[in-house]
Amino acid sequence: MNGLQLYLQSLLNIKHVNYGGYRYIKRWVSPTQKEITRRKRRLPPQSESKRSNFIDWNRNSEIYAFNTRLSEKFDTEKLNQAFTHKSYIVAELKKQQEMGIEEPKLDISHNEEYIEKGREITSEIVKKYLNRSLPRLPEVGIMALHDYLMSEQMLATASSHIGTKDIILTSEHPVSQQTLAQTFVALVGALVESINVDHASAFVRDFLIVGLANKDLTEIWCPTKPFELLNDVIDAERKMSIEARLIGQAGKNTILSVYHVGIYANKEYLGSGFGETIAEAKDVAAINILAQIYGLHHTSQPLRFNEELNVSA
Amino acid sequence: MSLLRKGQQWGTFACVWHIFDATWQDPFKSAHLIKKYLIGLHKPIYHPLNQCGDHVIVINSKEIALRGDHWQKRVYFHHTGYHGGATWTLAWELHSKDPTMIVKKAIYSAMDGTLQRRFTMQRLHIFPDDNVPKEMLENVSNQIKQLRPVPNRLYEIPQEERDKIPRLIQYPSDYQLK
Repeated sequence: MNGLQLYLQSLLNIKHVNYGGYRYIKRWVSPTQKEITRRKRRLPPQSESKRSNFIDWNRNSEIYAFNTRLSEKFDTEKLNQAFTHKSYIVAELKKQQEMGIEEPKLDISHNEEYIEKGREITSEIVKKYLNRSLPRLPEVGIMALHDYLMSEQMLATASSHIGTKDIILTSEHPVSQQTLAQTFVALVGALVESINVDHASAFVRDFLIVGLANKDLTEIWCPTKPFELLNDVIDAERKMSIEARLIGQAGKNTILSVYHVGIYANKEYLGSGFGETIAEAKDVAAINILAQIYGLHHTSQPLRFNEELNVSA
Repeated sequence: MSLLRKGQQWGTFACVWHIFDATWQDPFKSAHLIKKYLIGLHKPIYHPLNQCGDHVIVINSKEIALRGDHWQKRVYFHHTGYHGGATWTLAWELHSKDPTMIVKKAIYSAMDGTLQRRFTMQRLHIFPDDNVPKEMLENVSNQIKQLRPVPNRLYEIPQEERDKIPRLIQYPSDYQLK
């Protein structure tokens, strides 16, 4: 408290000599600002400046901050390696050659093997996690969700959200989506070597699999022949065949015609769906029921992202 | 948008066709009932800016019933805009000229005078009798319940059934019935 008082007193005692109040803006300010803006507009589009070229850039502290920010315990050497792409080493060696060095030598290793290993492990973790949280979803659906998560775009988004963009060492600038995606899997590979697979699985879950939150899962995967599939499912489970019935329609002769089809198994109501035509409504009804069975429906319990996965076992 | 979501949307914003029989109904009280369906006020998704109104077919508008002496006393005013162009038409006169007009005007004036009113009116189809085009009748999937039950009139009951009705009193055989 005393310290605060002292601070406030010293603030009060500052004489605003340099910032004396004045009630005008100098006549030269406006035309100068306008000229600067005009010249800026006339310039061709400028490339994004490289953060590592700034004078206050400290790579070591950035690497340390990356580790601490995510509360991870990456081995610093391996983390550095995970961020170093092959293109960077090639470019550096070429630079040395141009400088006239006979035998160019660079004592750093690239992340090719981390990428390969990390991709394999990430894929396995994603598959296991999805299998566990959506136990009734068939293999095709799991693979569709898996491919969606392992797509370059999802990996790149996850990667840029944890702040890898400026730390990546690569020859290209700005960093491409592919490089960002590769860096994410390389980080997983490095984490497996630094700690273990189980910890890497938590990393993948927290930064990649959460990408499925608030997504419409039926948009990512939808059965192509839903009615036949539902029939097979019901037949396998209850030894019954299903039957579709028209339970409502509106505006039959208009362009806004709506059909409401319900699906029944042995006179028991399973679910319903709306559509522009009877065939479409039948498909929608079947998808509706299937999505509820598989846990993909928007009213199903949302995916949980706090489950521990035991990959090594 | 997935097919599932599309179906949900399509069902939510479905435009339903209703039918209303105006036989022996008060057009001014029925107007407030029909208005709700036309605007979409009966739907949980109602909002003045979204398109959620339904179609209503009103049949037998010729058979409407007006209260008291409204056929003689109710006056419809019209002005052509020219000097001396004002006309006052009695309800019975208007009804004999166009049997759909009273119902139409009643519903039109029951709604608020917003910009949407004329578009909402396009969803209203009035027929003086029950001759509705077949393709229009196929759209219908709901009937709006009448406000008052249509009374059975004695002269509409056939003589044989009329004889079976138990009588409270028996006129004497020499009673002069006029």
